[in-house]
Amino acid sequence: MRKYINKNTIVIFVAALCIYGLSLWGIIKPDESYSYSERRGLKAFPKLSVQTLQSGRFMEDFEKYTLDQFPMRDTMRMVKAVGNYYLFGRKDNNGLYLVDGYLSKLEYPLSEKSLEYAAECFTLLYEKYLEGNVNAVYGVIVPDKNYFLAAVNGYPSLDYDRFYSILEDKLDFMDFIDVRDLLSIDDYYRTDTHWRQEKIVDVAEKIADAMGVSLTGEYTKKQLDTPFHGVYYGQAALPIAAETLYYLENDAIKNSTVYDYESGKTGAVYDMEKAAGNDQYETFLSGSRSLLIIDNPTATTDKELIVFRDSFGSSLTPLLIEAYSKITIVDIRYLSPSYLGKFIDFNGQDVLFLYSTLVLNNSDTLKK
Amino acid sequence: MIFSSIPFLYYFLPAVILLYFAVPGKKKNVVLLLASLVFYAWGELRYTLLMLVMITQGYILGRLIDSKRRWSKFFLTTSVVISLGVLGYFKYAGFFLESFAAVTGIAVPVLKVTLPIGISFYTFQVISYVIDVYRGTVAAQKSYIDMAMYISMFPQLIAGPIVRYSDIEGQLRTREHSAQKVAQGIRRFIIGLSKKVLIANQLGELIDAYGSASEPSVLFVWLYAVACTLQIYFDFSGYSDMAIGLGKIFGFDFPENFNYPYISKSITEFWRRWHMSLGTWFRDYVYIPLGGNRVKKWRWFLNILIVWALTGLWHGAAWNFVVWGLYMAFFLILEKLFLLPLLKKSRVLGHVYTMLLVLISFVIFSAANMADAGNVIAKMFGAGGLAAVSGESLYYLRSYAVTFLIAVFGSLPVVRNLFAGLERKMPENRVVNVIYTVGEPLVLAALLILVTGYLVDGSFNPFLYFRF
Repeated sequence: MRKYINKNTIVIFVAALCIYGLSLWGIIKPDESYSYSERRGLKAFPKLSVQTLQSGRFMEDFEKYTLDQFPMRDTMRMVKAVGNYYLFGRKDNNGLYLVDGYLSKLEYPLSEKSLEYAAECFTLLYEKYLEGNVNAVYGVIVPDKNYFLAAVNGYPSLDYDRFYSILEDKLDFMDFIDVRDLLSIDDYYRTDTHWRQEKIVDVAEKIADAMGVSLTGEYTKKQLDTPFHGVYYGQAALPIAAETLYYLENDAIKNSTVYDYESGKTGAVYDMEKAAGNDQYETFLSGSRSLLIIDNPTATTDKELIVFRDSFGSSLTPLLIEAYSKITIVDIRYLSPSYLGKFIDFNGQDVLFLYSTLVLNNSDTLKK
Repeated sequence: MIFSSIPFLYYFLPAVILLYFAVPGKKKNVVLLLASLVFYAWGELRYTLLMLVMITQGYILGRLIDSKRRWSKFFLTTSVVISLGVLGYFKYAGFFLESFAAVTGIAVPVLKVTLPIGISFYTFQVISYVIDVYRGTVAAQKSYIDMAMYISMFPQLIAGPIVRYSDIEGQLRTREHSAQKVAQGIRRFIIGLSKKVLIANQLGELIDAYGSASEPSVLFVWLYAVACTLQIYFDFSGYSDMAIGLGKIFGFDFPENFNYPYISKSITEFWRRWHMSLGTWFRDYVYIPLGGNRVKKWRWFLNILIVWALTGLWHGAAWNFVVWGLYMAFFLILEKLFLLPLLKKSRVLGHVYTMLLVLISFVIFSAANMADAGNVIAKMFGAGGLAAVSGESLYYLRSYAVTFLIAVFGSLPVVRNLFAGLERKMPENRVVNVIYTVGEPLVLAALLILVTGYLVDGSFNPFLYFRF
């Protein structure tokens, strides 16, 4: 009988230690306002009033608050991720999966509706501004990591051939440049969605060739001092080593200036303030900006380029600088094309549409 | 508030336990009552008053039934009419009006009433209480605090088990509190919590994935059906385990609600093992008063049909629940007519037959409406020209294989028997004793931390029986 009492006492002690320990810790510890791993603000203690109580808003917000401010939140998320992968043998955790050290997010099924919408947006742009005004229009579709990882490892995947052919059929005014043959999974970050700039010089050269310009391909490889944790790192909550973010420089890149219409400021191609921020990929052209002008004072040509792009374009465009005197970079996720006429004089430039399959398959963010 | 939430686990529960054990014996019921009202108000502030009205009418009319025997039938009828009237208005009025409009084509105003949480459970408790007082099987409760605490007691308030007054009449006044009982409660609670969060919620994600599948296939439909069947069991039995465990911590012994229903070899046996507190409620307060089986055969079967139509309707105000109940009744009648002896001849056949019917029944149960249910069942058997297998369905099969295996093993008494064997060996085997004594608390702590990780990550966490 004595042994049973001891056993029961241990059960009570351990359970109380866990529950009261975490409970008190949660109450005592100061609230945090931001989660660096998840790249989002954390909930503060909700407003308590008769109105919020009556509407149930206080209760809802309090639950979110307790989740966000739970002690060792990141560790707890890691417990779940590890449990999901290794205890329950789940192939993904919240849609993220890990293969050969690469994190990727399930992206399927192919959304024809989304491709149609993207094609419609690009066609409207073409008809309104480009047709008859610009030199030539090129298109590059950047495959996401799932192209290399999903199907071969048994994960559901987009039908990429069909994906490409749908867009090529609908956007017959573009000359498509297929860069898939130059890419492999090594060309992407392990913990991020994006490709690595230092690995896509051949891609930039192929695009330049197709657009009738040439690149020297000579760059100095530099690296950021701080470790790089990509966007999937925080979402996955798995113990994965940090990466190094490299960037390529040459005289044209170093001497060029970037004018940001949003802030009205002029800066460098690589934004070293962003290098110290939460998302170091934003070092490339300051991340998500709606309209940028790159001026290359050392250019030996007067050719100009307009790039409609998503974030994959941020790291590729600098590699094209040496071949152009001016590059205009537009992100129609943040700027409605109806305003473009106010800022851009469409007159004889080359135009490049560079979008990843991730954005094209979820194109509702594009503005018409 | 739901049990599988951070506010409940790490704020409400520790505070209530601390207060409960800090106050002297007589005040414990007051603490439980206040805690229960806070618990209910947290999820449904505006309907807390409704619950208190129901408790009050049950209390007053119960006392009147007991003290004014000449008028007892009138008081009983009044109480039952109030309870069923409130339940009918909040749960069924909209459904009946819509059905009436659909059948007659007459336009009726649309009634949109939010269903108060736990109304099906607490009205049934009030009804059983006044009937028991009327029958003289229990004495009317004299303490309003004890009565209110019994009806509103948070461990069983929103999803059962349906604790009858007669089950805990004595415990309301005096109950045993011991380390052994608290430890039993903790074990049961953590196991229930794990069943809910680690199994039911995960299967819920698979069910959601089926809903948005891009490559439907026969395999995916079967995965969905099996996931529904296991999810409902782990969700509901997990909740019952938590309720029973919490009851034990506070010194109560609630009735069991599940007894490994998926080992049944007939539908008759299944219903002796599934949601037992509801089954016995309908037996004692509807089936037997209708005459049970001590009537002519046609009337007996009619009684079964009535009870099961009501059982279906209790689960939800929609036709698929009525069909689900009648479906169960149909096979119960067949078994009573001739099937039961045949099923007893082969355990394997009986088990396969039962599980197939249960699987289909839970597809009906889980469907949004009868058209959806029919669609899924037809696809399960090859209709609709679906491919047998798709890459997507194979992916989900691989991804959920371990969860399925754990769920299947967890729904069998294998683990319980294993631990019971270990418990028996404890006093005589020192090694087993040490491993068990140290290992069990560690496993429970690990489960609690794992569950917390799942909750903090904010994953899928609805309760299926929350609004029944």
